Amino acid sequence: MADDFVVVKDLHKSFKDFKAVNGVSFTIAKGEVFGLLGPNGAGKTTTIRMLSTVLEADSGDITIGGYSVKKNAEAVRTLIGVCPQELALYEDLSALDNMVFFGHMSGLEGKAAHDQAMKNLKLMGLEDRAKGKIAKYSGGMKRRINLAVALMGNPKLLFLDEPTVGIDPQSRNNIFENIKALQKQGLTVLYTTHYMEEADRLCQRVAVMDGGKIIAMDTPYNLKKKIGPPDKTTLEDVFLNLTGRSLRD
Amino acid sequence: MKNLKQAWYIALKDLKIFVQDRAALFFSIIFPFLFIILFNSLFSGVGWEDDRITLHVTTQEPEGGISYQIIAAIETKDEEALSPGDPIIIWDKDYEADHQAVLDGKLDGFLNFPASFTQSLMSGASTGLEIYADAGATNTRAALQGLSGAITSQINADVAIIKASAQLLAQSGASPEEIQTAVQQIQTDLFSGAAAAKSYLSFEVVKVGNVEAQNASNWVIPGYLVMFVFMAAATSAPEIVKERKNNTLERLFSTSVKRESILGGIYSGIAFKGLIQIIIFWVFGILVFHVNVGLSPLAIIILSLLMVIMSSAFAIMLATLANSIRGASSLAVITSLLLAPLGGCWWPGFLYPEWLQNISKITPHAWATDAFNKLMVFGADFGDVVPSIIALLVFAVIFSGIAVWKFRISDR
Ligand SMILES: Nc1ncnc2c1ncn2[C@@H]1O[C@H](COP(=O)(O)OP(=O)(O)OP(=O)(O)O)[C@@H](O)[C@H]1O
Ligand SMILES: [Mg+2]
Repeated sequence: MADDFVVVKDLHKSFKDFKAVNGVSFTIAKGEVFGLLGPNGAGKTTTIRMLSTVLEADSGDITIGGYSVKKNAEAVRTLIGVCPQELALYEDLSALDNMVFFGHMSGLEGKAAHDQAMKNLKLMGLEDRAKGKIAKYSGGMKRRINLAVALMGNPKLLFLDEPTVGIDPQSRNNIFENIKALQKQGLTVLYTTHYMEEADRLCQRVAVMDGGKIIAMDTPYNLKKKIGPPDKTTLEDVFLNLTGRSLRD
Repeated sequence: MKNLKQAWYIALKDLKIFVQDRAALFFSIIFPFLFIILFNSLFSGVGWEDDRITLHVTTQEPEGGISYQIIAAIETKDEEALSPGDPIIIWDKDYEADHQAVLDGKLDGFLNFPASFTQSLMSGASTGLEIYADAGATNTRAALQGLSGAITSQINADVAIIKASAQLLAQSGASPEEIQTAVQQIQTDLFSGAAAAKSYLSFEVVKVGNVEAQNASNWVIPGYLVMFVFMAAATSAPEIVKERKNNTLERLFSTSVKRESILGGIYSGIAFKGLIQIIIFWVFGILVFHVNVGLSPLAIIILSLLMVIMSSAFAIMLATLANSIRGASSLAVITSLLLAPLGGCWWPGFLYPEWLQNISKITPHAWATDAFNKLMVFGADFGDVVPSIIALLVFAVIFSGIAVWKFRISDR
């Protein structure tokens, strides 16, 4: 499709002789929230790391915003924001300092970095803790800052790798609202999770991944429809049906 | 431009973390001074007078040459009357015997006035003094060089006086014979008698006698500067590994920060800390501990900067060699505590037996402390520490090479 912002073709990645990602292909339309679902070890993070240019694929092609990750990683990096699964923050700096720093790194200058940092902190409901050191934050608060940092520098494509783990329901709702608002402004999102209800709520399309392969890809509604009445079926059931295993095994 | 700016921000960020970290500040700045104060008081007044350097001087001139007057003037007549740190100067009458003694390893070195000394001096040619010294006897060599420098510059001053006087006489219409007589008179006055003895001795105190060996700070401070600059840098290694483990380097990388900028930023951050350290060390050293920076402050500055550059590169190299934070920590502590005493940071390396001095040359510490000692204790000049400067540069290049080659942003 012409307005596909992300095109992934036949991606492979092995660690030693273990195949972590084994022939993954998908596309994400501009402005779409695309879900990558799968149990632990399915290869979601590995896929994201290849898309975000930090890990080199063994084979396959990735194009983001028209730029090849292999040939023009530099251009790709200016388009993306990454919220990694593991926290990637400076514990000894304040939340604000962290965000201003990463803002500078993504090309924001002086006051612009500071303003956007405050805006994103507000978005996460943490503006009154701005000056507090990350080390003193609760786990859920750290996760929210981890996500807020990914928003610095106005990326066009956001990689969210299980951003809601350990976050209370209220903050989670707040994050969902924010993602939907950003989507309205044209942001494209790749969202990984193993909470099926999150994907159901947020994603226009989902790919179900298992053992390094995509085993199903469609809208949540269509996936559910295949195995039963959509309103009575969950994506959890879909996964069970596809693999014979429950998602959390 | 963008890359430089990003590196700069990374360095600033590291500096900010450092300044906010009380423990790190204490460890790299206050702690060294506690050490210095302790060791200064332990070592001060320790029998330095017994460790006086003895310098031998000979002349090959026939009796009556100017060198006879000079040596007679600088020769030590009464050891009791020497100031602390002044060398003992002995007039050996037999050049051949001294020469053979150096070849046989029985004498560290001596200063010789060549046979043509007076002649070339009077004809206006340069007056080369000769230093014969064992290649390994660096301290003696440095002291002899200091002595010869003192004598040469005094002689040059004297020759200038003679020339100026002759010119004055010529202008006032004196005949060549009259000038000749007057110049001879001035020569005798300058190079002999009480006046000469006095001027040479005073020179000795200023230049060779610069050896204020009784101030233990002169080697305690550089020793601890070398140790703590290295140690503070080395202990940044686990911080780098931590960044690799907690994914911040990877995050920077995906935020379009180039590998070079990340490396440059980390490197500058460590170097900044080192710069702060050396500035504080020298300011306190000079103002509070009254260290003597010797004849070449430039050499001191270059050596200090090279310590910072070399140590910062070492830290990054260490981080690339370690696979875990704990591993990097242990490596940092072990190398710091092993290399410091071996490299003469705790006790002056010039007191080590020769075999240990030779082994210690595998440490950058030894080259640095050796150079500082020469400059600050033995009155050496810039030229004498060039080998040390080159050695530190070589260490820095090797460490940087491995650091750049092996640096990675992630272990995954
Ligand atoms: N650097 C690595 N070296 C070796 N194996 C790796 C490496 N990174 C990932 N793997 C393996 O690849 C597989 C996929 O890992 P990945 O992190 O992509 O899974 P995931 O879908 O993100 O799982 P989770 O839901 O637990 O985050 C796992 O079996 C993992 O052990
Ligand atoms: Mg993962």
